[in-house]
Amino acid sequence: MIRLATLDRKLLRDLQRLRAQAIAVSAVLACGVTLFVMATGMYDSLERARNDYYDSARMADVAVSVVRAPDPVANDLAELPGVNALEARVTGIGLLDLAGKSDPVSARLVSLPPDRHPRVNDVLLRAGRWPDPTRDDEVLINEAFAEANYLAPGAQLRALIYGRYRQLEVVGIASSPEFVFAVAPGALLPEPERFGVVWMGREALGRAFDVDGAFNDVVFRLAPGADIRDTILAIDTRLARHGGRGAYGRDRMLSAQFLADELNSLRTMASILPPIFLLVAVFLLNVSLSRLVATERSNIGLLKSFGYGDVSIALHYGKFAIVFALLGAALGVIAGSYLGGYMAALYSKVYRIPNLAFDAELHVYVWAVLVSLGAAILGAAQAVLRAARLPPAAALAPPAPVSFGRLGQGIETAARSLDGKTRMVARRIARFPRRSATTVVGIMLALALLITSQHFPISMNHIVDVTFGVSQRMDATLTFAETADDRILNEVGRLPGVVSVEPLRATEVILTAGSRQRRDTLMGLTEGAYLYRLLDQNMAAVDVRPDGITLSNNLASKLGVTVGDTVSVQATDGHRAHADLTVVAVVKPYLAGAAYMELDALGRALREPGRVSAAYVLMDRSERDALNREVKEIPMIAGVSFLDNASASMRKMLNEGSGFFAYMFVVFSCLMAGGVAYSAARVTFAEQERDLATLRVLGFSRREVSYVLLAEIGALLLVALPAGAVLGALLSRWLMAQFQTELFTFPYVTESSAYGRSVLFVAAAVIGAALAVRRGVDRLDLVSVLKSRE
Amino acid sequence: MSREQTPVFHLVDLRKVYGDGEAAVHALRGVDLAIAEGELLVLLGPSGSGKSTLLNVLGGLDRPTSGSCFFRDIDLASAPDADVTRYRRQHVGFVFQFYNLIASLTAQENVELVTEVAPDPMPAPEALELVGLGKRLHHFPAQLSGGEQQRVAIARAIAKRPKVLLCDEPTGALDVATGVHVLEAIVTANDKLRTTTLLITHNADIARIGDRVVRFADGHIRSIESNERRIAPAELSW
Repeated sequence: MIRLATLDRKLLRDLQRLRAQAIAVSAVLACGVTLFVMATGMYDSLERARNDYYDSARMADVAVSVVRAPDPVANDLAELPGVNALEARVTGIGLLDLAGKSDPVSARLVSLPPDRHPRVNDVLLRAGRWPDPTRDDEVLINEAFAEANYLAPGAQLRALIYGRYRQLEVVGIASSPEFVFAVAPGALLPEPERFGVVWMGREALGRAFDVDGAFNDVVFRLAPGADIRDTILAIDTRLARHGGRGAYGRDRMLSAQFLADELNSLRTMASILPPIFLLVAVFLLNVSLSRLVATERSNIGLLKSFGYGDVSIALHYGKFAIVFALLGAALGVIAGSYLGGYMAALYSKVYRIPNLAFDAELHVYVWAVLVSLGAAILGAAQAVLRAARLPPAAALAPPAPVSFGRLGQGIETAARSLDGKTRMVARRIARFPRRSATTVVGIMLALALLITSQHFPISMNHIVDVTFGVSQRMDATLTFAETADDRILNEVGRLPGVVSVEPLRATEVILTAGSRQRRDTLMGLTEGAYLYRLLDQNMAAVDVRPDGITLSNNLASKLGVTVGDTVSVQATDGHRAHADLTVVAVVKPYLAGAAYMELDALGRALREPGRVSAAYVLMDRSERDALNREVKEIPMIAGVSFLDNASASMRKMLNEGSGFFAYMFVVFSCLMAGGVAYSAARVTFAEQERDLATLRVLGFSRREVSYVLLAEIGALLLVALPAGAVLGALLSRWLMAQFQTELFTFPYVTESSAYGRSVLFVAAAVIGAALAVRRGVDRLDLVSVLKSRE
Repeated sequence: MSREQTPVFHLVDLRKVYGDGEAAVHALRGVDLAIAEGELLVLLGPSGSGKSTLLNVLGGLDRPTSGSCFFRDIDLASAPDADVTRYRRQHVGFVFQFYNLIASLTAQENVELVTEVAPDPMPAPEALELVGLGKRLHHFPAQLSGGEQQRVAIARAIAKRPKVLLCDEPTGALDVATGVHVLEAIVTANDKLRTTTLLITHNADIARIGDRVVRFADGHIRSIESNERRIAPAELSW
């Protein structure tokens, strides 16, 4: 049996005695470590799963769509510098009839090579089998769509492709890195119930889209070290005469962009949130260990008189911090891995990546322990040094009594108006300002974090409310298979139930300002449009103008331009027209900013007047089924999306994720506030035990004596709550700005309930912790406390 | 009993046992005692003889294991906690060897802590004047000497005009001159307020300031002697 050194046995017994405080400190440390392990581990896992998937399934580096290019052009493209592999494909949008679904379901149809797997954007079979190359009607569908619509191999689909119905048989369920996040054209979030990916034979699809012996889409893998800009330029040049629409990299592939945004959010979370908890843990350790060293003063003197050196003493007290740190790290690693697993499960609902599981590498755990130890050492340093430096003679003498002086005229005048017990409380708070401040700051941070976490769902719901209520007011959007003559609007206007129609022309353009260049969508809207409105910061409608271009603030800042500057706009298709346009307004949409122009002005600038790519429709909702039936008779209409569906699925997706985080933060913030309050109250109780016992002996009731203990923490709580609320407002604003991505802007919107709820939780945690300490008043041993030397 | 014949305390077969079985410690083994109002009783005896236990029971800080311990018509052995707290609040003043002042309150405020809640207290400055600290009202404990702190403790104990003053080795931590000051303060309170006073000491000389001297040994009262003449603390030397 290993025999512990006597000092270590003392350590174990002391820890046993101080276990509640050890748990309080370790719990706060553990929150920080949990968040660190969860966010860093999830970041690693997601990034690794994505990269593995992208590598193994050869995710495209560059993509381009073209009107129609003959097959031999693909051989030329393969010869271009920087191109490692390519897949020339046929793709397009079609409508699907699903039993029991009245709202139209659209699908992206993607061709499969007849005799092999795609060289780029491979398709992985998850169930069923690969289509027979001799059969035109066998298809694969993507996993998310299959699950959402309960489709399995053997299912029959009726597809409307380019105006003709075809009967298709699902023979397999598949996934592809291209559609990790499968989003319908024009939509922002996946709606797997209403949008799917269908892979079918190249020949059949070519015939269906009337591009026999040709292709209309190419995806490329680049050679290592290739310059993507040079390659894109070469591709665009080669495809210009076949109607190339401009090649683009992963930064414009929605699925890849979403994943990159998610990774950035995780990195932000990993770098901002754990330090807040660790900082509070540092403060807590400082307070707890300082108190421990103070009570152990005579023991330290005794040990030193026995010949223990400064280093042994420092190590002995340092070990307390190390035990706290290891306990916090262990709890944090366990909780972080568990929550990481939960998060990975949430992610895999949204991101279809094979083998996406929480699988943090060893370095994450090593860092978690190091970070925890670092925080503990930082928190313990002062107290440990004090113990080491204590001269033995001074340590053996009783400590100088804590001297309370007058606190300045103002405070003293106020203190005199208080009763004796309250005066004790006031003087203690003022006598130990750093400790009082630690308690206040700890509670403040806990409240601020909770308030912030409550604001994300509010902000998200606000985005949905504004986007799908104030900005977009159409009932449905009809997307055309390709840019159409605006006479199609008349046809749309005649559809059942349609009350009014507004056109949209959306086209990919390259915007240049000085040396900065961005590829983005340019949307042409009519002046005074009612169904799709741009909003300024005060939610007032901003009209598109014929005399220039309106930019989203995101795009404007990427281009480094503001109102009055000029940007050069180059169309990526059609005539590839070029125009220099003045920025006439900057708007702040919450979702996916773009560039906007007045429709006719856009037509003139691109030298393609009278063209539209979608129609916004206001309709009599009772005619929805009739409209759905009729739409299928118009070959030009490639998709219909209803606003209520989009808003519901967005709300569902946002709430699924934010619910988990909101719950987690309630727990963490309460642990932080409770831990801080418990430590503070413990120290107060330990220091005042004699005073409290004296009060009891003097005839004060338990309630009155408890007041002295609780009023201190209560007073600090009263200071911390309003300050924490203000900090919460600031932190929410700041953090939301940090989480802003290309596609999402989180507006700071507030509801008083967010503050009310947070204050309630934090106050309950603090009061609960203080009451737990208060039980010590009931157990005060009056006689032994009073008879012992101070 | 001397002086007045009205008993304030009446103790019958009072016993106190700590622990049980072989580890049981019999602190009081059947004490019978009556203490008159205004009496100054000195308790003498070696450590562990039971005198502090008796003082704690009389002060409502501890409960006896058996027997009865009446303060007037309240049996401190069986009264509810709230009644015992009220008893301490209204009738008892304590003085300990260690002063147990509240460090964050001045001398006057330490006394006021009691006068604020007592039914018929004397003004705090008057109590401090009584113990010779009229000029140190606004000093914090850390700014006072040991003897001064002990006198603040006495002032705090007597400011409520308690019926009973219980002093557990009040001079144990003090030098002779300071000890005499402290004893004077206690005797003054006993004389002027007619407070029944019990004083524990190890110093047999101090016994001469009391009306009676109760000697303890092994949990029993070994003897009770009456002093024919109480001498003033100033006449003491030890």
